[in-house]
Amino acid sequence: MLGKRALRAAVLPLIATIMATATGCWSRREIETIGFVLAAGVDEAQEEGKIQLTVLIAKPFAIGAGMGTHGTTEEKPFWVVSSTGYTVFEAVRNLLSQSPRRPFWAHNRFVVVGEEFARKGIGDVLDWFDRNGEPRRRAWIVAAKGAKASDLLQTEFELERMPPEGAMGLLKAARTGLSTVGEDMLNDFLQRLEGEGIDPIATRAEIIPRPQEFDIRGELKREKVGGSLRLTGAAVFRDDRLVGWLNKPETRGFNWITGKVRSGIIVIEKPGEEGKFIGLEILRGKSAFKPEVKDGRVTVTVKVEAEANVGDVQGFTDFIKSPELWASMERRMATVIENEVQAAVAKAQEFGSDIFGFGAELNRREPKKWADEFRDRWDEEFRDIDVQVEVKARLRKSGLVLRSTRIKK
Amino acid sequence: MSKVEGGKVSGRQLMAVLVLSRVVPITVAFPMITELQVPQDAWIASLLGTLLSVPFVLLVVRLGLKFPDKTIIEYSELLLGKYLGKLVGLILVWYWISVVADVARELGEAYTIAIMPETPILVFMTVTAFLAANAARNGLEVVGRMGENGVWVVLFFLIVMFVLPYDEMRFRNLAPVLARGVRPLAAPTGTVVSFFLQFIVLGMVLPYLNRPKDAARYSVYAVLASGILMTWLTVVLVAVFGPTVSHLAMPAFSLSRMISIADFLERIEAITMGAWTLSSEIKLALFLWASAVGLAQVFGVSRFQPLVYPLGAIAVSFGILFFESTLDLQRFLQFKNFGLYSLMVTLGTMGVLYLAALLRGRLPVGPGVRR
Repeated sequence: MLGKRALRAAVLPLIATIMATATGCWSRREIETIGFVLAAGVDEAQEEGKIQLTVLIAKPFAIGAGMGTHGTTEEKPFWVVSSTGYTVFEAVRNLLSQSPRRPFWAHNRFVVVGEEFARKGIGDVLDWFDRNGEPRRRAWIVAAKGAKASDLLQTEFELERMPPEGAMGLLKAARTGLSTVGEDMLNDFLQRLEGEGIDPIATRAEIIPRPQEFDIRGELKREKVGGSLRLTGAAVFRDDRLVGWLNKPETRGFNWITGKVRSGIIVIEKPGEEGKFIGLEILRGKSAFKPEVKDGRVTVTVKVEAEANVGDVQGFTDFIKSPELWASMERRMATVIENEVQAAVAKAQEFGSDIFGFGAELNRREPKKWADEFRDRWDEEFRDIDVQVEVKARLRKSGLVLRSTRIKK
Repeated sequence: MSKVEGGKVSGRQLMAVLVLSRVVPITVAFPMITELQVPQDAWIASLLGTLLSVPFVLLVVRLGLKFPDKTIIEYSELLLGKYLGKLVGLILVWYWISVVADVARELGEAYTIAIMPETPILVFMTVTAFLAANAARNGLEVVGRMGENGVWVVLFFLIVMFVLPYDEMRFRNLAPVLARGVRPLAAPTGTVVSFFLQFIVLGMVLPYLNRPKDAARYSVYAVLASGILMTWLTVVLVAVFGPTVSHLAMPAFSLSRMISIADFLERIEAITMGAWTLSSEIKLALFLWASAVGLAQVFGVSRFQPLVYPLGAIAVSFGILFFESTLDLQRFLQFKNFGLYSLMVTLGTMGVLYLAALLRGRLPVGPGVRR
C-alpha cells in the first residue's frame, strides 16, 4: 500500500514535468519561419498552360527600420516574388524554392488577376483560395486593367509603407467617399459564380506610372519604384471570364442599382447659367429594383432615392431668393443619377453579364416563371430587358452660406 | 438486481448532454447542409426534422417509464426473453460504439483539416477518446455535470458564431421559399431525424433520473432547443454562403472564419473549435458510458468501469478502420448511409420492443415494474 502511494507520488510530478516541458507538436509554426502574404496575383505564365503566381510578402524586420531618426525609406518593407505551376497550389509550393520563410496566407487581403489572364477565366484559380485552410473568403478580388497582376503588385503608395494597406485604404475611401468602385470579396464572387441569374464583379485597378524625373523631397527615394495604383471602377465578368470594364460613373450606376452608394459627388450644370457648375455631395442613397414579367418580357423598375447637400457653387447664387433654382437643381441631380444607372445597364447588357442580379431577383419573386421561361435563356433575355429608372432626388442643405459671395463688377 | 451504475442525474443535466450530443453533427461536419440541393430551404428541413423527432423521443421515454428502474438493455430482456433481448441489447451497444467511432473520427478529421494537417489523426482521436473514457468511467453523474457546465460555454460560442458574421449575411439568399417544392428536402430532413434518433441513448439514462417525472419534458426540451440552434445556424449559413454553402466540409468552421469586426476581432475560429471539442467530448463520454453499462448489463457483469477503456480503444480503431478518407466519412454521414442505418437500428429496436410490450398486454411483472 505504501509502495503504491510512493509510486504515485513519484509518477505524478514526473508526468506534470513532462507535460509542462514537452509542449511541442507536429504542426507548430514559429513566427520567425513564416512570411505573411498580404496580396497575391495570378497571371498566365510564359510556359503553355501554366500560371504565374505573384505574392507580396511582408518584411517584418524592415517595417520598423525606416521609422527612425534618419527617415530613410530605402528598404522596402515588402518583397514581391513570383513562381509558376500548373495549378495554384503547385505555384504556392514552388515559392518555397525562393522564399526562405514559408508563405503564410491567413492575412492575404487581395487576389489580383491580370487582364489577359482574367479574360480566359479565373474560376480554376479561385479553388485553392477557397479550399485551403489558410486564406480566407474575405480576400478582395481585383482585376488589373491593361496590366499584369505581377506589375500591379509592384506599385507603392506615398502614404503607406505597405502597399496592400494602401490599397485597403483606397478601397475603403472609395467605397465610403466616392461609391465608384465595384467590389466583391471571394465569398461574394463564388456565390455570384454559382448563383442563378447573377454574374460576378470585381474591383478595377490601374497602374499610374511614375514620372522618372519627378523627384521632390519626401518622395520615396528608392531606385526603382513601380508607380502607384488607382481604383477606377469595376471589372465585369460573365461566368468566370472578364468581359469588360465599367468606368467610374457607370460603376456608381451599378452601385445605385445595388444600393451600395454611400457618398460621392454629383456635378450638375448650373440651371440658367452656362459653363458654371454645382457640386452636390450625396448624403445617402436608397434603392430597390423589381423585375416583372409582362407578356413574356421582363421589365425592371429601379427606384432610387437620393439625398444630397450643396457642396460648392460657381457663379453668384442666392438660394433664398430663387426657390425654383433649388427644384431645378434637384431635377438635374435626378437626371445625372438616371444617366448613370442607364449607362451601367447599357454596358452590362452589351457585355451580356447580369451583374445586378436582375435574374436572381426574378427567381426570388417568381421562381416558377424563372425556372420555366427564363433560366435557360437568361443570357439573351438579359440583353434586351427594359429598365425603368425612377429617381427621387432631394437636396437638403446649402452649407454654411445661403448665398455666395457677389464679386463686384 | 445489482446496480451497475449508481449515480443520479437531474432533468437539466439530461437536457444538457442531449443538446450537446446533437450539437456535434452541426458544428463539425453538418451532414444536412452537405446534402442540400436547394440551400435556401435548409431551415425548413431543419425545423421539419426537429418536429418529426419529437414523437420518437416521447416513445423512448414512454416505454422507459414503464420500467422505472431498468435501462433499455434490461427491459428488452424482460420483454423479448433472454436471447432475443440480449441480441437487441448488443445491437444497441454496437450502435452506440459506432456513434463513438464516428464522432471521434469526425473530431480528428476536423482538427487535421482545419489547423494541423501534418499531425496524425490518431493523436487527436486517442487523446479525445481517452479523456472521454476517463469521464465515462466515473459514471453518469460526472458526465451529467460536465454537460450541465459545458453547455453554457458551447452555447456562448455558438451565439458568437451566429451573430458576429452579421455584415456578411444576405438574407435575400433565403428566397425563394420552396421554389422546387418539398421533394428535394426529403433527404436533408431524413438526415436531421437520423441524428435525433441517437437520442435512443435516453433509454440508458432514464432509470438514473432523480425525478423520472421530468423525463418527457426535458427530453422534448432538448430536441426543441437543439432544433432551434440548428435552424438558426442553418439560416446564418445560408445567408452568409448562399448557394455555395453545400460545398463546405465544415460549414460552422468556415462561418467563424468569415467573422471580422472592424478589422480587429477576426480569426476567431478557435471558438468553433472550442464548441467542437467540448460538445464532442461530452457526447463521447455519454455514449461510451452507455455502451459500457449496456455491455455490462447484457453479459451480467457487475461493474462497467473496466469495460470503458477497452471500448474506447475499440471505438477509436473502428473510427480509423471504418472510413478510408474524409470523403468516406462525409458520405457515411449522409441519409442513404448513416440515416438508414440509424433509422433501422433505432426505429427497429423501438418498434420491436413496443410491439412486444403491446402483445404481452399487461407488461411482465418483475421487480421495479410499474403496473
